[in-house]
Formats: sequence, C-alpha cells, structure tokens
Amino acid sequence: MANVLDIQGLSKRYGRVQALDQLSIGVPQGSIYGLLGPNGSGKTTTLGIVLDVINPSGGTFQWFGQTMSKSTKRRIGALLETPNFYPYLSGEQNLRISADIKKVDHAHIQRVLDMVGLSHRKQNKFKGYSLGMKQRLAIASALLGDPEVLVLDEPTNGLDPEGIAEVRQLILDVAAQGKTILLASHLLDEVEKVCTHMAVLRNGKLKAEGPVSSIMSTNDQVFISGGAPLEQLLVLAQQLPFVTEARVQQNQVQLVLQSGTDSSELNSAFFAQGVALGQLTVKKKSLESQFMEIIKAETV
Amino acid sequence: MTSSLLSIELRKLLPYRTFWVILAVYVALLVLILYFSSHVTINGQKAGESFYQFPDLWVKLTYIASYFNLLLGILVIIAVTDEYAFRTIRQQVIDGYTRANVVQAKYSVVLLLGVVCALLVFLLGIIFGNIFSPASNTANMFTDSHYVFFYFIQAVGYMTLAMLFGFLIKKSGLAIIAFLIYAKIVEPIIHYQLPDSVDKYFPMKALSTLTPIPNKELFEMVTGASESLGIWGAAAQSVIYIMLFCLLSYILLRSRDL
Repeated sequence: MANVLDIQGLSKRYGRVQALDQLSIGVPQGSIYGLLGPNGSGKTTTLGIVLDVINPSGGTFQWFGQTMSKSTKRRIGALLETPNFYPYLSGEQNLRISADIKKVDHAHIQRVLDMVGLSHRKQNKFKGYSLGMKQRLAIASALLGDPEVLVLDEPTNGLDPEGIAEVRQLILDVAAQGKTILLASHLLDEVEKVCTHMAVLRNGKLKAEGPVSSIMSTNDQVFISGGAPLEQLLVLAQQLPFVTEARVQQNQVQLVLQSGTDSSELNSAFFAQGVALGQLTVKKKSLESQFMEIIKAETV
Repeated sequence: MTSSLLSIELRKLLPYRTFWVILAVYVALLVLILYFSSHVTINGQKAGESFYQFPDLWVKLTYIASYFNLLLGILVIIAVTDEYAFRTIRQQVIDGYTRANVVQAKYSVVLLLGVVCALLVFLLGIIFGNIFSPASNTANMFTDSHYVFFYFIQAVGYMTLAMLFGFLIKKSGLAIIAFLIYAKIVEPIIHYQLPDSVDKYFPMKALSTLTPIPNKELFEMVTGASESLGIWGAAAQSVIYIMLFCLLSYILLRSRDL
C-alpha cells in the first residue's frame, strides 16, 4: 500500500544540538504509526517539520507523494505538543476559528465536540478548562473536516485513566474508518496497545522501524519443560541450528529462536530426538523491555 | 481571500476585552483633547470657536490624532504577540495558513483599524466643526479634509511598523517597549544627528510629515525652517515603508521556526 507520508534524511540542528539526524521513515496508508522515544528524542521536531512549522536543516518529506501545500494541509488534522487556543474564547468559538482556517463548515463543530465528549462545556471559556478538556478540544479541532490523516503528539497527555482509555478508543475508531494516524508518544504501553507500525527514536536517530508485530516477534522467547531432565533439554536445544540462545531459568529452559522460526518446528525437533515436551510456551517480550534494549544498543 | 482572513481575525478580536479597552481609550482621549482644546485660555482670550474653524480644523485634528497612533501600534503588537503567547500562530499554520497568510491576516486588521480611525477622525471633525464653529463657516467644510486620508496612511504606517516589532520580538511587553523607544527616542536622536536632507527619508520622519504641525510657518519662525518631503512625497514614501514592513515580517516568518 502507498505511503501517506515519506520522510528522507530529515535533519534538524539547534545550535550545537543535533535534534534530528538523517531520519528516513514511511507511514503506510491506513496504519496507526507510533513514533516512540524518550523525551528529547526528536519526536516533536519530526512532527513539527512535516507539519510545516519547523524548518528542517536537511532532508525532504512528501505527503501523499506531494510536497506540502495548502491542499495537502487540508487532508491532515494535527495536534502538536500543547493544545493551542485563545484562552478568552469558548471552546466552540475556538473551533469556529479552526473550522474557518480549514475551510470546514461550522455544522461539523457539534459532531467533533460530541466525539470528544465536550458538548456540555462548549460555551465555557478555554482558560477554565482542565488539562484533559484542553487536550480533548485539540483532538476535536484535529478531527474537524474529517481529515484522511491524524497527527497526534502525545494525545493522552494530561488525561486521567478514563480519559486515556477514551482517547485510545477514539483513535482506534477513527483508524477503523480507514484513516491513517501518526502518533508520537513516550509511553510504550500506548504504542503497544494502539499502533500497528512503529519507529523508535533516540537522540534524533532512528533505532528501529516496522510493523509492531514484527518488531516484537523477532525477539520472541520460548520456554520449554517436561519430557526429560532440564539439563538434557538444554543440551538438545543448544544443538539445534535455529536456536540462538538457551539457558535454564526457574525450572524451565528459556530459548531464543532465530527469526522466522516457528515454535512447532522446535516441538517436532525435540520429538525427533525422542523427547515429548511437557510444556512449550511462547512469550512475546513486552515492548517495554524491547524498547529498553533498542535504546540501550549503541548507547556509546 | 483577504476578506475571509479578516473575518477570522475579527472572530479573535471582537470578543477580546483588551481590544475594546484600547480602542475606547483612543476614542476617549481624542474626544477629550478635542473638546478641551477650545477651552484653553491664551492671553486671557479663550481659543474657543476659532479652534474649530474650517478648514484649519482638519490640520489641527489630524495632528492631534497623530499622537494616538502609538496606542493603535500597541493594539497591533498585542494582536500579533498574543498569537505567539497562545501558540495559535503555530496551530494556524498547521491548519492551513501559509506564512504569507499570517502577515496578510494581521495587515487586514491594520487596514481595518486605519479605516475605522480615519472615519472616526473625519466624523469628529464634522461634528466639532459644525457644533462649535461659527455657522457661516460650513461652506468650506471639506476643504483640506484630505488630511484625513494622510492621517489614514500615517496610522497604517505606525501599525505596520508595530506589526513588524511584534513578529520580530514575539513578547508583548518587550515589543511594545522596543516600538516606543524606536519611535520616540531612537529615530529622533538619529534625526538630530543627521542633516534634514537625509533624515527626511526615515520612516518616522516621513510618517510625521503626513500630519504637519498646525501653523507651521509660525513654528518655523522660532525653530528655523526644516527640510522635508512634500506631503505627497511623504505619502508615497510611507506607502513604500508599509510594503517594506510587511515584506520584512514575511521574511522573518519564513526564516524562523514557529
């Protein structure tokens, strides 16, 4: 499928700080693409550049295969960092301004307010909103005009657990309509729960990119036990060509398989050796531990 | 295009109390000064009716109004720097504005304020002239009323410079101080240092030429004649400065991150 956004060699330097270093990624159409990284890793800089508010020091990007223009902007709804509104205007008045700029009919305002659950407070001034309500209003504004792509920078920032769950559901609902979502987050949990694709950034450098499932499966761990003493299982396992790592851990043998190897192959290999395994468990590593691994790699 | 930009700007400004307070101060000061000018007593004789005599009234009126351009400038600086304070400038560029649109939108506000203030000055002239001056005087009521047009250019010039300061400095307090210091201290010092033949080309000098001091001849008998562009020359030059300030604002926005 075509990419909604293509980024090639994007760099940004602030004085002596290299905020973004030769970033190249592609956001497939219809994906929920997570840009994951700790604070200061270059997520917001990346989004700021592709949203036309930060000038890159180098590199290029295309939306829908075109350079950024007024017409491409109209196909994108975005929220960058903090919610940006006039404090002395009501939520509804603020959205009227957004709608006018996006050339969207005011009739859409009520719909997006309903979607984020802010209808009952639309007459109140923005400055009286809680952080969570401000964030919802920003999401409502991004949804105005039913854009093909939503760009959301830390969309659950400042929300309470209930609000977080609602926003995540909203993202999934919007994605279910075939829209593409580009989401920046420092929360692994969020990316794991919501995203289909991800890129991991650290110090402005790309550390990993791909479908969330493939990034996770490359490091699947398998635990086996039963059928034979642990020592024997360990020796047998170490002889198998597709096992890259084997060690005993808590009455089980923990294995790491070469990528692309199915756990049933493992089972039949043991069976061929005359061992019927009592238990075989495939455990996908939590994204968090993977994330820490990806980030720790090449720390120097 | 510009009309839709202006209507968006009005959505921001009309509900904004600061906007109305500054406009109210502008109107109140203008009316008060105009009213009390006639009650000044010179040599035991009230300036009174003669002050409102057409057509001289137009020169006096626009000269007085020119003092309050600074207030209009402050208003424009606030309108610009608020966009940075609320970070709405960023959001609006994300939502579809180009950087040129950002400048055009603010410039449309400047033009509107210029028209409103010029109309106000024009109305005040007609009202005060008719109420307070001798009745026989109204025949030449509109003679010299084109000074209101020069005042319009001047007000737009001040506000466009203020807009540039707003975009340049981004913070309201600092931008206002810098604007006032430039308009009232830096340029006057430069004027003082340079011969008239050079300083007449400076923006503040050209703008101030548009509302000449009433009874200029009398004034120059004391201070010595100063060289300036003719009023039409100053108007042309002011228009060039206005375009330049808009262009510089745009270049600033282009070259910086929002």
